[in-house]
Amino acid sequence: MFARRRFAVLKDLLEYVGIEPGRLHFSWISSAEAAKFQETVLAVTEAVKALGPAKHMIKDIRKVA
Amino acid sequence: MSTTQEIAAQIREAAKRLLSEGKVDCVIGFAQGTVPMREYPYFAYTPEEAENLTWSRFCCNNLSNFLVRRPKGQADKVAIVAQGCVSRNIVGLIKENQITREQVYILGVASPGMVDRNKVQALFPLKTITEVTEDGDELIVKGLGFEERVPTKKVLRQNCYTCVMRNPVIKDEMIGEESAPTHGGNIDKVAAPWEKLAPEERWAAFQETFKDCIRCYACRDACPLCYCHVCFVDEARPQWCGKTQDEADVATFHILRAFHCAGRCTDCGACESACPVGIKMRKLTSMIEKDIRELYGYTPGMDLESQPPLSVYKPNDPQEFIK
Amino acid sequence: MADKILAKDKLGEFLGQLKKDRQVFGPQAVEGKAQWAPLQAEKDLLWEFSNTHLSPKDFFFPQTECMMRFVNQASDEQGMIMQAEPELKQARALVNIRPCDAKAMQVLDLIFVQDQMTDDFYWRDKRDKTLLVGLACNDPCPTCFCTSMNCGPHSSTGLDALLVDLGDKLLLRTLTDKAQALAEGLPEAAKADLAQAAGLKKAAEESITSRVGMDQVNAREVMDLYEAGLWDRVQESCLNCGTCTYCCPTCHCFDIQDEVQGTIGRRVRNWDNCMSWLFTVHGTGHNPRGTKKDRVRQRFMHKFKYIPMKRGGEIGCVGCGRCVQLCPVNIDVRRVVNDMNA
Repeated sequence: MFARRRFAVLKDLLEYVGIEPGRLHFSWISSAEAAKFQETVLAVTEAVKALGPAKHMIKDIRKVA
Repeated sequence: MSTTQEIAAQIREAAKRLLSEGKVDCVIGFAQGTVPMREYPYFAYTPEEAENLTWSRFCCNNLSNFLVRRPKGQADKVAIVAQGCVSRNIVGLIKENQITREQVYILGVASPGMVDRNKVQALFPLKTITEVTEDGDELIVKGLGFEERVPTKKVLRQNCYTCVMRNPVIKDEMIGEESAPTHGGNIDKVAAPWEKLAPEERWAAFQETFKDCIRCYACRDACPLCYCHVCFVDEARPQWCGKTQDEADVATFHILRAFHCAGRCTDCGACESACPVGIKMRKLTSMIEKDIRELYGYTPGMDLESQPPLSVYKPNDPQEFIK
Repeated sequence: MADKILAKDKLGEFLGQLKKDRQVFGPQAVEGKAQWAPLQAEKDLLWEFSNTHLSPKDFFFPQTECMMRFVNQASDEQGMIMQAEPELKQARALVNIRPCDAKAMQVLDLIFVQDQMTDDFYWRDKRDKTLLVGLACNDPCPTCFCTSMNCGPHSSTGLDALLVDLGDKLLLRTLTDKAQALAEGLPEAAKADLAQAAGLKKAAEESITSRVGMDQVNAREVMDLYEAGLWDRVQESCLNCGTCTYCCPTCHCFDIQDEVQGTIGRRVRNWDNCMSWLFTVHGTGHNPRGTKKDRVRQRFMHKFKYIPMKRGGEIGCVGCGRCVQLCPVNIDVRRVVNDMNA
């Protein structure tokens, strides 16, 4: 419940600086909800794949001086 | 309204009285700097030292910062000169159990709005300014080969225009009279400037704002919220944040520092005033505080009673983003 | 090497000659501040400015510098054999560098390049390939105190050539063999020109009113200074940020780290500063400079006591005044050194 507030702010902050919304997902899943867990993981993976490789916050030490 | 010079004289008198009566061991205020537009935090331990205290529109540090960074055993009972934002940060420090109310004697003062030295310098590009003095509503700016008057209203710090509380929210003694609580500006109109950009334009705006960062951490170190003994950027095991000038490392520092201040920032502007390269980090922090106001109806440091928004919850808090 | 005269309308040719086999940089007005940038057009080069906002030390000692790269893979024959980063490919010239900054590079030479064992390739490579053409200060700032720091507004130490602005023309004084070619074909300075330059030098030196004394700092024992009461007051307002060290032309501390990404990695060095808590903390958790006072004291003792003791009287400060202007809490190095000198 405390985390919910922090995540709400974090989500808005990351979108504000230009991180695509599809890269950040939140879900309530109890340890008894295996099916929901599976569905969520699939949905997250698909959403991130659809966006393609991240463009920001990426440090590639092969490229940087 | 009293002039800042009159307030300064009253601060000196109050400080001398408190020190000579033994009510406090130290008075934290400002003394006149050795360069124009830069008064500096000063610690007066004797009535004689209190003579060095001053007050002006060039007092850009947040003095509450020095309540939590003092070496142990050095002056346990202190008096502090506090305008609106500083008093709100003192409230924050009390709520976060960093200091007690009893430990600090607050010499409250209404903020006249502080001058942004970068704005004044920008009026005289590449010229050397040698002296700036206040004269009523104007600044007299003297430099090598010039002297001009500048309306003070034009060169205040951005955060001072949209200040929501110029008067101290808690105090033991008021120096001078209270002023109108706000400066007239509306923070919600100017906060979060990148919100009006398209999502794909925002990263570029963020990068442009922070491109000159040299990672000196003056913004963090000038901030009364950043009292962690070990900041996350200084953690070595694990090392959360790279040390290089790579965009990702610099961005990580600024995003996370801003996030750590969520629901706590009083928009005092000390970070921007401290920055040696003129970065406007309020473009980031103002968004978070606007978000906190919209989501939880909270403005940091306004009173001792209300609970910090990220330390509590309500069953019906917004959660559309959770699937 | 007689002094020459460079007419200002011949400046294009002068810069053109420099550009022939070098990349040329100069102070330019960027966002209202004097800043170093590659010089595209002659008109962009600043002549009237106090000094660049930040020091030019990053031309030789970049804030982040990759030193070598490696592959961490058993199948790779070169695995874990460090590959040095390539040398600087093109020679460079810094035009209109101020004498204090050139002096600072000379002080840093004494630290980065000492003997066979202490010979920093990365520093030396860039120094060797960079020509410094200085511009004498005719109008020093109130924060300048170079004349107290083995330097001066017309000082030529560390420079390859010095320009003195005489109004419609420049006096060119070549100082090293590297710069000889620049003076070729230029007319010799007349007596009146030399007299004018000498007058400007005298006037500039006299206009520097900030005085910092070093005689007692030099005379006092290390421990006497170390344990002096002044540090209790100096450290009070210090934020322990890195502004003073990062804007300083002579601060040169760094931190080396290996960065790894999958099977590849690089060794990189970054600026570090003695104000940081992390600077000297040991693996055990012990920190020999555990308090703010320890850290603040280190900066001043290093510059004004340790370096002079170890480097034959050279000072780790050139009096450029950047830290005086930029310190968020106005810790004025002139005041501190004068307190040390008391």
